[in-house]
Amino acid sequence: MTPDQTTAAEPVVEPVVTIAADRAPEPGPAPETAPVVFDVRDLNVYYGAFRAIRDANLHIHRNEVTAFIGPSGCGKSTMLRCFDRMNDLIEGARVEGSVKYHGVDLYGDKIDPVEVRKRIGMVFQKPNPFPKSIYDNIAFGPKLAGIKGDMHEIVERALRQAALWDEVKDRLKKSAIGLSGGQQQRLCIARAIAVAPEVILMDEPCSALDPIATARIEDLMQELKSQYTIVIVTHNMQQAARVSDRTAFFTTEVNETSDTRTGVLVEYDVTDKMFSNPTDERTENYVTGRFG
Amino acid sequence: MSPAGSADRPGPVRLGYGAELEQLRLQTEVMGLRVDQNLERMRQVLVTGDPRLAATALAADDEIDAMNVSLTERCYEVLARENPVASDLRLVVSVVRVISELERVGDLCLRVVKVAVDHERLTAQARPFDILCVMADESIDLFRAALRAWATDDLDLATELAIGPRSLDLAYAQLVDALVRLDGPDAAAAAMQALVAGQALERIADHAAILGTRLRYLITGDPNHLATEVRR
Repeated sequence: MTPDQTTAAEPVVEPVVTIAADRAPEPGPAPETAPVVFDVRDLNVYYGAFRAIRDANLHIHRNEVTAFIGPSGCGKSTMLRCFDRMNDLIEGARVEGSVKYHGVDLYGDKIDPVEVRKRIGMVFQKPNPFPKSIYDNIAFGPKLAGIKGDMHEIVERALRQAALWDEVKDRLKKSAIGLSGGQQQRLCIARAIAVAPEVILMDEPCSALDPIATARIEDLMQELKSQYTIVIVTHNMQQAARVSDRTAFFTTEVNETSDTRTGVLVEYDVTDKMFSNPTDERTENYVTGRFG
Repeated sequence: MSPAGSADRPGPVRLGYGAELEQLRLQTEVMGLRVDQNLERMRQVLVTGDPRLAATALAADDEIDAMNVSLTERCYEVLARENPVASDLRLVVSVVRVISELERVGDLCLRVVKVAVDHERLTAQARPFDILCVMADESIDLFRAALRAWATDDLDLATELAIGPRSLDLAYAQLVDALVRLDGPDAAAAAMQALVAGQALERIADHAAILGTRLRYLITGDPNHLATEVRR
């Protein structure tokens, strides 16, 4: 307490009492204050006869970073791809249950997947810039989407938001392939931002990057979340603990009838709780690294 | 990758890590037992004034301090190398905090030992001396309960220690009451001597309670149980 906050006339209060009173009790999950962007209900995803995800339910909140963690093959990337209907591009993929985006069923009859992907951008594991100039990489999306306005301004804003502008402003016409891995990944983030989406999905965006480049992307996520809703799949648990507000833990269940595995959502809670005191023993075992 | 570490097979992975955490837990218990031995010496010195036993207690405290240092270093190493989370993180941080409590109890124990060596003066007044002996017994009992709770992961016992009644408060009040009534040429010196010992014993009991709250949080992970330990 600073001196100006208290007066000499005030009785001396034991500071420990203040500490105890300041701590609001948090029974169960944190209050869900941020509006829900995605509302997933009883989601089942199949690839042909194979069920990749079983009965998943969760809410993604606006202006938060949500992390999906879990062992390989647990369905976290599949879940991510449900949000921008990328699974549509896979032969035999089928989605049951509902994925609502601001209350609208993403898998409704009248929904155009292309329209969905304009609002929901995706950044992949391996940076995948087009073999074009840095400028054209960013301008491509807005042009295709028919976004009107000063294209230079759009490109600059996207590059600035992706914390790349200062590094590339003098070589915008040079090939994007000449950038470092970390720069390429930030370029891909800038490219996703350029079409002004509401949500950015990231599928292991740092797994191909060194620690410095990773730290930059992580910082970037913190800056971007004030404007965007971010969902990230990561194998790096410390990364999930560092960047996300909420964490969903998925794992695999071996099916009794066949030798296949299905992904299940085990626990979904505020990240602090998931990494300090998870409710489900399977989460505890996974985050502590006892069982893979 | 180790044979047990295959992602396709359920079973323990990071075998060395689990063993290391178990070692931390056990070594903390061992350190607690060393402190307990010194508390027993303290009780004997209090009753007999034996200077030889007092010297043994002083020497033993160096070992306790050394254990505090080496265990703290091991905790740092585990934190740096293994990035523990969830109950593992609570364990490592709890060990760091618990061993510093133990070290503190060791120091308080020595404070009593040093005072008790001047046995003639301490025993000259029967009532304060009797109260001190009772306080020593009670504080040792509480410390042993804390040690037992740690060794057996006993949440009920930890909770009782953390929020239970403070039995030494009454004895301490009685001690102060007896000391202010002392008179005679040696009264002030005797009172100060007994008061130092009495305060130390009362603090030992407090530390036993704190050990209970540390263990309670370790087991439950409930942040409210952290708040309790701040309040203590």
